[in-house]
Amino acid sequence: MEFGIKQILYLLLTLFIVLNYGLILQGIMPKIAARVGRRYGIRWYQPYLDLIKNHAKRSKITHGVMYYLGPVFRLTGGIGLLLFLPVIYGSPVFGNLSFAGDLTLVLFFQFFGVLGMALGAGESGHPHSAIGVSRGLSQVTALELPLTLGVISIAMQYHTLNISDIVAAQQGGVMNWTIVTNPFAGAALMLTFLGSMGRAPFDVVMAPQEIPIGPPTEYHSGFLGVLQLNRAIFPVAKLILFMNLLYGGATSWPELFIKTFFIYLWSVFVGVAFPRFRVDQSVRWFLGVPLLFGIIAILLI
Amino acid sequence: MVNPIHIVSIALGVAFALGFLGKREKLALGIVYTALAVMLAISASWLSHFWGNVTEPIQIFTGGFKPPFAINLQMGLAESVFTLLINTAGLLGAIYLANELLKAGKNMMIVFLVLVLGLNVMVMTRDLFNLFVFMEIQSIAIAGLVILNPDRKSIPAGFKYVIATGLISSLLLLGTVFIYYFGGTLNIDFISQESLLYVKGGSVAIFLVLLSIVLELKPFPANGWALDVYEGAHPGIGALISAASATAGVFVLDKLMVFGNFTFFNAISIIGAITFLGSNLLGIKQDNTRRLLGYSSVGQIGLIMTIIGLKPYLGENTKFIALAILLSHYLAKAGLFWLAGMVNADKLKDWGAIRGHRIYLFLMGTFIFTLVGFPPFPSFFGKWQLVMQLANNHHFWLLAIILIGSFFEGVYLFRWLGYAIKWDEVEQNYPKIKLNQFIPTVIFAVLAYALGFYFGELSGYKSTFIYMAAAFIAFLYIFDFLPVFVKNTLAIGAMALYYFANQDTFHGLTSIFFIIFVIGGIITLLAGYTFKGKRTGFYPLVMMMFAGLIGLLEAKTTLEFFFAWELMTAGSYFLIIRGKKSMEHALSYILFSVGGAYLILSGFGIAQIGHTGMGLDVLKDVHYYAPIAFTLMAIGFMTKLASIGLHIWLPGAHAEAEADVSPMVSAILLKAGILGLVMLFLSMGPQKLFGIDVLYVLSWVGVLTALMGNMMAAFQEDAKRLLAYSSIGVLGYALFGLTMMSHLGWLASLSIVVTHFMFKSLLFLAIGGVVMRTKTKYMYQMGGLIKQMPFSFVSVLIGIIVIAGLPPLTGFGGKWLMFNAIMENGWYFQAGIAFFAGVISFLYCFRLIHTIFLGQPKDELRNVKEAPFWMLVPQYIIITILLVLSALPNSMLKPIGQILLNYFPDGALVWHGQLAIGPYGYWNGKLILAIVTIIFLAVFAWLYIINRKAQKVKQFNIVYAAERPFRPETTHFAYNFYAPYQKALGFLVAPGITNFWDAVSDGAHAIADKIRSIYNGNGQTYLAHILGFTVIVYILMNGGF
Repeated sequence: MEFGIKQILYLLLTLFIVLNYGLILQGIMPKIAARVGRRYGIRWYQPYLDLIKNHAKRSKITHGVMYYLGPVFRLTGGIGLLLFLPVIYGSPVFGNLSFAGDLTLVLFFQFFGVLGMALGAGESGHPHSAIGVSRGLSQVTALELPLTLGVISIAMQYHTLNISDIVAAQQGGVMNWTIVTNPFAGAALMLTFLGSMGRAPFDVVMAPQEIPIGPPTEYHSGFLGVLQLNRAIFPVAKLILFMNLLYGGATSWPELFIKTFFIYLWSVFVGVAFPRFRVDQSVRWFLGVPLLFGIIAILLI
Repeated sequence: MVNPIHIVSIALGVAFALGFLGKREKLALGIVYTALAVMLAISASWLSHFWGNVTEPIQIFTGGFKPPFAINLQMGLAESVFTLLINTAGLLGAIYLANELLKAGKNMMIVFLVLVLGLNVMVMTRDLFNLFVFMEIQSIAIAGLVILNPDRKSIPAGFKYVIATGLISSLLLLGTVFIYYFGGTLNIDFISQESLLYVKGGSVAIFLVLLSIVLELKPFPANGWALDVYEGAHPGIGALISAASATAGVFVLDKLMVFGNFTFFNAISIIGAITFLGSNLLGIKQDNTRRLLGYSSVGQIGLIMTIIGLKPYLGENTKFIALAILLSHYLAKAGLFWLAGMVNADKLKDWGAIRGHRIYLFLMGTFIFTLVGFPPFPSFFGKWQLVMQLANNHHFWLLAIILIGSFFEGVYLFRWLGYAIKWDEVEQNYPKIKLNQFIPTVIFAVLAYALGFYFGELSGYKSTFIYMAAAFIAFLYIFDFLPVFVKNTLAIGAMALYYFANQDTFHGLTSIFFIIFVIGGIITLLAGYTFKGKRTGFYPLVMMMFAGLIGLLEAKTTLEFFFAWELMTAGSYFLIIRGKKSMEHALSYILFSVGGAYLILSGFGIAQIGHTGMGLDVLKDVHYYAPIAFTLMAIGFMTKLASIGLHIWLPGAHAEAEADVSPMVSAILLKAGILGLVMLFLSMGPQKLFGIDVLYVLSWVGVLTALMGNMMAAFQEDAKRLLAYSSIGVLGYALFGLTMMSHLGWLASLSIVVTHFMFKSLLFLAIGGVVMRTKTKYMYQMGGLIKQMPFSFVSVLIGIIVIAGLPPLTGFGGKWLMFNAIMENGWYFQAGIAFFAGVISFLYCFRLIHTIFLGQPKDELRNVKEAPFWMLVPQYIIITILLVLSALPNSMLKPIGQILLNYFPDGALVWHGQLAIGPYGYWNGKLILAIVTIIFLAVFAWLYIINRKAQKVKQFNIVYAAERPFRPETTHFAYNFYAPYQKALGFLVAPGITNFWDAVSDGAHAIADKIRSIYNGNGQTYLAHILGFTVIVYILMNGGF
């Protein structure tokens, strides 16, 4: 495949669209959650304001090289993940860099940023950062088992690890979507999806409502700005992955917006309805029902 | 030629003459030495006469009459060998006992001479009554020697000995009388021609004669009297009893077995096997040195009895096997008794006094490895041949008993050796070397090596490589006084030379292991330059281990393979035990290794049934019991891999080893297990044991090992233990990949093996460097070291990214291949566990780097320096290779894939440049690395532009609820890092397996303790044992009275 300036521009365009979409989602979703709780909530454009504010801060401190690189790792992970995915099905230009690797790459590349960020947070020396990392990693490992089983089930269903091919196989209507044709794998995946979105009941990692805890504790100014960019991009990349695996992908940007919005809403929906788990509880939970779904999905291949 | 009768006449004459010398003790001793030397010379001259000549033994007639009218002695090849052994032990034993003999006076010298004389005649005589007389003489002489060295234990022991042997002699006498009655003659050669067995009384007579000889050889459990003697006698006398007297006894038994029929042979072999198993089991509970040696002696003689009993099956091989084991016993047991006399430590733990003494430890190690049957000693070849023959004759129960007994023997001998090398709760106290004691011991040690070489030749073992390596190891041992720098350079030079000389020799899969062993060896050896001084003893051992590893590749026959395997085990044992707190871990390592090796040995034994050659390709065509052989060998190799259930030795052994030993034993040595499995799986293919696919079971073992290893790693506080558990996990993956028996499975497995070598050397070296500087292995005691040790930090960073299998580095290749292989293979549940385990590796990876290098620096570690330069050099070589492989994955995977095409032609990857296309997915390592690098640089540039003026702040300048923490210990989140995880899933790694093995060990000790309570020290009880034993054996042999 020819790879020239044009492709690079399309990459940047993808990034730009996803970034804005992500920022808007970041504004809307808390608002929805607030309304459920009969609160007014933030303005939908609040994330933009935060982003500008963080970049404009004048007091900036650093705890060392790794601390400095932490956000770089994180955002690289987010952008990389997005670009390794075929975003719009059938569009050669929005297939981006998916020719570099398959589903395995995407699944493992998720952790690149996580680990780098964790290291950066570690160097800050803040115990809350380390506690957050410990909790986050614990949770992520637990959801990996049902996730892997679900993914294997889907890959076996379509006899490929190529995401574009998986999307292609689901074309032709809702009845061809994996969530319909392979509901147990879909259920396993959608339950693990909850864990990866960092919302209740799995949000003790960040514990956003009370004391500052979690990897970003010590990050501020431009560092936090970079992290925020990632927080816009990374979830959308994950949404696109789940959309591709379970919901037939998207042939256009509007389709993508609609599908991903509802996938995201699922985690918000669960989040407002259920209270928070402790980490040991969530670890056990992932190895309960979602694992069962994963096992059934494998047995039914 | 001097008439052999002069052996008798000289001894008798001198013994008489000594009485006339008055008080000139020294002169008397000189005469005794001369007499013994002449006796030895006579035996030696006869040996040289018979050696290589097929001539009939000569007969010496006493009194000028021919038998049966007079007694005749016989001197043939066998007699000359055995009298030589006896006289050598006699002479050297007398030299050893010089001071005691002088102190006790002429009487003791006379008794000593009489003992040697008695033993000589026992070997030579052909007359039954004469035999009885001289057995009596030697018994009384031994009792006399025991009592002449009076202490609290020796007098009752000697007394019990006299009573017990008296009873045994009366049985012998009774038998002799009956034989004369029924057979009409006492001459052995004539009796055997009569058909005594067909007369009821005659068979009882034979029973009594043979059983009394067996009783002389101290069968279990009717041997309490003998054990008390071993414990009570002076070690010099103990050596004589164990080496010379038992040797003569064995000869007599063999001589008289001409009377016996098949039932007798069977009975002897069973009694021997029970003795071997029982004594060695009881030995594990012993903590008294001499009694322990007694148990071992009794056991070894039991083994030789078994071999004699197996004569009808072993045929021509009997001589070789029996001699190999007897000689090893003779040399090692005399040597150990002598050592015990020099060191003079009653309790095993007191042997810690000689720790660090090269010469004593060398001697002790030599003798113990001789006894246990390690190469290059004769017992190794004897045991090998014995196992092969037992398997050929389908004597599997006996095989199992013998190997289990050998294992028990290993338990107590290695524990003892461990105390001597490491036990530091007693004061170091080197006994002064007395030449008269030292020289005999050294002579026996040298003989052990020489005879090992000889028996190797006899078994058809010839490996130029091993001989060269042995010469180099000996060279390093002799020149151990050179500084580290020189020796390290020599070692590296030798490895490099070997590499260049053989780089084209190895093809196929062995070439992968060749690179890991040799190049890996060179890289890890580089770290050796860090050490100052002499590093005594290190280099011979390292070279021994590497020689063993390379020997595995060089091996053409199963014998060569097993030889190399044991050599590697021995070398690595000594390397591991060098660590500061390694004693118990080295013991558990060697025991698991010995156990595993015995399984491999039995596997080889079963595999070669029906084959004439011993080539490794017998594995390709196993005639009988193939699945059993396969399973035994697989478990044996998995012991080295530390698969789940067999892993408990590894964490301690690897974690407590020295900084540069850990990477060798972890990153390189473990691959020997993989090599074994590769060889086994390729040769034998999938096997079904009782209808169950063994490989399928092993696939579960593999993934569960990965899960357990990784999870255990996540819960460790000790950095090196963490890495050790991680190795268990990674090798679990490798095992899993191999069990798939497909192109991709093997490619995944072998690529994991190669990368594991790199990242584990890298991490162990880096952490080793950190531990050297911080003087602690506990991660929570460290923290914030990134500023002091940035280079080590980068090493660990790269290492963990590779371990975790994260793109863009090369570890991801293994994960990707594994995914594709599993999809193809259909083992989805194992796959789920494998990937679950893979993600758990993130836990320990992060913990490792965070708690050491990040977080809060501790006050006491503020001034530590970067790891030593020479520790960093190998790390950065490895990092370079890893980065190259990450950018160009096909430079590693393509050649391995090419090799695998020979074995698994289907399902190979298709390569387009660096793009790999598998049956299900694709992956372009180079492109991914490029993309990630570009994005990373772009983001970094962006952050740098907006944040270039960030101000560096000091420790504790953090947002802390308006507080300012001031104690790093309370601020560094490190201890019990994954508490919630442990709470949720910790039950999965509850120490069940450790508890299991502990229970096995406790159970064995408890049983041993219970059984040995029959030895209550009461002479009457011992007599009852002897009688009871006689009656029971009689009933069992005849099915009633």
